[in-house]
Amino acid sequence: MKGNFEKPLAPIPPLKSAYGVEPRYITKRAYQLLGMVFLSMKDLFPDMPEVIWPPANPRGVEEATRKALAGVNMDMIKLGDSVNVLASHHGWTILGGEAYTAMLRTIRDVVEERTSCKDIRLRAGVGLRFRETEEYIKRFKLDEHFKGKAIGIAPVDAGVPIETEIGTLYGIKKAYDATWVIHAHNSDVREIHFHRHVDRAVKPFAMSYARIETRSTYHHNLGPRGANFVARAIFKSKFVQDKWAFACFLIPTPAGIVGVKASNDLMALNGEITRLNLKTYGKIMTLLGKIDEVIAVLDFSCPVPYVFSGGVIYANFCSANIDLLDLDQPFPPYTWYTEAYYDENEKPLVLEIPPLNPAIKACVMNYTWIGYPAVFWAKHTPTIVVGEWHKKLFDEDSQNSEFMKHVREVAPDLDTAMEHAYKLARTDKVIIFDGAAGGINCSESLAELMTRKAPEVNREVEEKLMPKWLRQRADES
Amino acid sequence: MCPTLSITVGKNRLAVVNESTCTGCGNCEERCPEYAISLVPIKPKLLQVDWTRAPKERVFEVCRKAHMHPQEVICYCTGTRAREIAATILLGAKTPEQISRQTGIRTGCTVECIQPILRLLAAAGVKPRKAPGFQWYGLTATAWDLPDKVVKNPDYKKFYFDEDRKLLERIAKSQGDE
Repeated sequence: MKGNFEKPLAPIPPLKSAYGVEPRYITKRAYQLLGMVFLSMKDLFPDMPEVIWPPANPRGVEEATRKALAGVNMDMIKLGDSVNVLASHHGWTILGGEAYTAMLRTIRDVVEERTSCKDIRLRAGVGLRFRETEEYIKRFKLDEHFKGKAIGIAPVDAGVPIETEIGTLYGIKKAYDATWVIHAHNSDVREIHFHRHVDRAVKPFAMSYARIETRSTYHHNLGPRGANFVARAIFKSKFVQDKWAFACFLIPTPAGIVGVKASNDLMALNGEITRLNLKTYGKIMTLLGKIDEVIAVLDFSCPVPYVFSGGVIYANFCSANIDLLDLDQPFPPYTWYTEAYYDENEKPLVLEIPPLNPAIKACVMNYTWIGYPAVFWAKHTPTIVVGEWHKKLFDEDSQNSEFMKHVREVAPDLDTAMEHAYKLARTDKVIIFDGAAGGINCSESLAELMTRKAPEVNREVEEKLMPKWLRQRADES
Repeated sequence: MCPTLSITVGKNRLAVVNESTCTGCGNCEERCPEYAISLVPIKPKLLQVDWTRAPKERVFEVCRKAHMHPQEVICYCTGTRAREIAATILLGAKTPEQISRQTGIRTGCTVECIQPILRLLAAAGVKPRKAPGFQWYGLTATAWDLPDKVVKNPDYKKFYFDEDRKLLERIAKSQGDE
């Protein structure tokens, strides 16, 4: 394969945000480093589904949304009712956010066309960066499209009690202050370390639309696998079911966006998404686990764990040394339940806790955001941060007050950081987490390794892993 | 939504920030609907309670009752461990807000650690007085009080309720190294 790879793909430019530095400070992106190539997902796994994006295709997403919504019942929505289109910040992190925006705009248009309802609001939830969706709403002019009715909602906003099978949980009041709710999400796997691909389609009910009490229940009270019941408990509650209209999902895969799916039956959609994701994301995740040694370069408009490569976030690459989708494995190498059980000497309290992916010999942070507690990574992987501006950002973040204490070095520029990382890691394999569409920007040496390993991974997933994963999720298979 | 209750509304309905208790978490700035608040750097301060000031056996007992290992990290932003919060309660703190002021917990993301704080208060027999507004609403389910009909439901096997509860309990009880 040597020499047959494509040129690296330019990722989406840095975004102006309260959570990142001024884009002008990002003078060099990792894909511009010498020796980098683009590894196409379709070349690795030829059975990846056909995509409608890339290349950028808002019209294609609009058409796919209209087609998906044609099969959805909207008769419950009457003239004079109010409708909340519930969205999440995750959607805008996928390939620049235009595709998710196109889906949201189309949902609004179709609901109005079919029901004559005018009071259609966008309520967009966040993670731990409370202004993030407000930034997307502004960037994509969604407030105009929703006639002045688009707002960001945060877990510290006023709440509403929700009686569930496991007692009272709490949602964000403004998520549910309408006659009907539409769950407008995406099927990107994203935080497998948390949800383990159990009820993936339901998760925002425990997160983006939930108050702090509910999120804390998920991350502290029920255990690394039991936690996933929180979302189902809320979704199945009478409170939510009385407001439930339908779900509409953007469907990305590691190769790109393949379409839009919509249904009144969220659990049916949940099963459909699980089967697709185990087959597509399951393969690239298993392949990432075959990498023996590598330098990870983070270079994307997201906090440390959420930067993407090949559709997989860095937090999941840090757990690629185990089968994250195997539910018999209690602790991923990174998740908050794992982080909780490291003692003051940074030793795990129990043997079941696996180490962070030992293949990652060094991490270079060229461009990342703040707004997520990231000290765990700096403690467990030799980390080089590029730029004093980057350091200042972390130093002033209330979620990262200890982060820089554990960073190995602040390098003046990306080239210096890489020079030091190569010496530190003693490998020329590099993987770039820059959200490149449809594949992975990486070093030629890594591209060769992954290309060589892909066929055996394909067989392993199809013949051995998929049957186990599906058996463990019987109601989704 | 200020976790240390450092903002009061004074004369002429102007908000006043108590700088001695403000930790700079940024909640006020991030949720102000009018974008009227901005953050300015303040002198760094270390908020910490020395857990050994409280009787060790009592600290361990409170942690055990709350099903937590004393060294369990319960705030991922500040790295605060269960034993520090248990000690802070035993030394007199009676609300999440008082605990935040003394230890800095829940002044990072301000989201994820409310339940372990409430669980430790309950384990110490303290019923916290509610702060004004919507600081927090109350305790929620834990692995130890899930209804049988949920835990034993064969359709819910994929949630590993029993296995996770036993695992967490084993960690909580493995206090021999303390």
